[in-house]
Amino acid sequence: MSSNHHAKDETLMRFAAGTLAAGPALVIEAHLAGCSTCRARVFEYEAVGGSILEDMEPTQLSETALAVTLAMIDQEDDQPAPRQPQKPAEIDGVRLPDALRGCDIGRWRWAGPGVRMSRVGVPHDPEANLILLKVGPGRALPDHGHVGTEFTYIVSGSYTDKFGQFRSGDLAEMDEDIEHQPIVDQGVECICLAAMEGRMRFNSFIGRVLQPIFGI
Amino acid sequence: MHEAHNHIGAKPGWSVSTRRRLSVVNSEETPPAPAAAEFVEMLLAVATNKDRQAFAALFRHFGPRLKTFFMRGAMSAGLAEDLVQETMLTVWRKASYFDPDRAGVATWIFTIARNRRIDHLRRQRDPSSLPFDPPEVPPSQEEIFVVAERDTRIRNALAGLSEEQQAILRMAYFSEKSQSEIAEELGIPLGTVKSRTRLAMNRLRTLLEDET
Repeated sequence: MSSNHHAKDETLMRFAAGTLAAGPALVIEAHLAGCSTCRARVFEYEAVGGSILEDMEPTQLSETALAVTLAMIDQEDDQPAPRQPQKPAEIDGVRLPDALRGCDIGRWRWAGPGVRMSRVGVPHDPEANLILLKVGPGRALPDHGHVGTEFTYIVSGSYTDKFGQFRSGDLAEMDEDIEHQPIVDQGVECICLAAMEGRMRFNSFIGRVLQPIFGI
Repeated sequence: MHEAHNHIGAKPGWSVSTRRRLSVVNSEETPPAPAAAEFVEMLLAVATNKDRQAFAALFRHFGPRLKTFFMRGAMSAGLAEDLVQETMLTVWRKASYFDPDRAGVATWIFTIARNRRIDHLRRQRDPSSLPFDPPEVPPSQEEIFVVAERDTRIRNALAGLSEEQQAILRMAYFSEKSQSEIAEELGIPLGTVKSRTRLAMNRLRTLLEDET
């Protein structure tokens, strides 16, 4: 699977640095699984981190630091605990990216004509702003402005907006000042995984999606 | 899963140089830092022989640097030291996953430190959070080919940035601070942080492509 639309360099750097929020990081991870171009860049930015670490001025550790660590090693079993195999993530029988293993996938909920939405619960970050969207052929993705950058990974199907066609495996990264209106291509529904940056913005985002529907 | 190659022959090169370095400690000069290749030997010795001396040598080199790294992310000295120990403990546990064809030792230890920091932040929010422990994914052949000289390329490219550009990139690695928080800390406008970051990223990309 090769992608035509990639993550921005700065995003890949923040992913490699471990400073990207949990929701966007999972969307990037989903894209990386199928994109060797972006994977290679992440490795580069990890090497930047290695270089930064190597160049740090040393700060003296307490005298016992090494001894304490060696004592911790002595208490270790030789065998690391076996990794718990996790079930592949899916929704209604549709296989989802491995990045979502361990996440809590909600049911599809009606979110407008031809649009279904499911909130994805991230176990280590309850406030992560992550949703799945399923939009029917020829339909517009829910109209929404966004406050921070929005990251969208195309799980299946495709849509087109003024930036081109986005297909399965592609990543769309839209800054807050970008206005775009993605329309799902004819023939097949489109499933996307979308995350917003920032903590408190989920409500306003969901609010905007749901407002015209429920009048909230 | 990736097993480390058994590169350890009968000659543990690092221990010779460790002795050499110890012998110069008494002179006024700072002992020369071991070369990247020596760290590889040390880490492989930890992986294959559970070699504590090699581990101690890695600890003495990387531990104090890790402490600075964590402290630059606004952690207290005590917390930074806890994370140094957790990081080095993970280095011990996972040494067999280290693959010298894939990353240098400093880069590999950086990724472990990064994961321990993510872990720490998660536990702060939710104490029952499971350890952040991403699976090791074997690289493709094509990736291994690209990797061979990567660390050197990256080092050279970084050295080609201005000190100001290097500083702004470093800050992106230290903490989750947003650009507006960085702007506040540096006492410069947000727009300047944004444009400086973009310039530094573009320059780094150009230098990396020149190196290829």
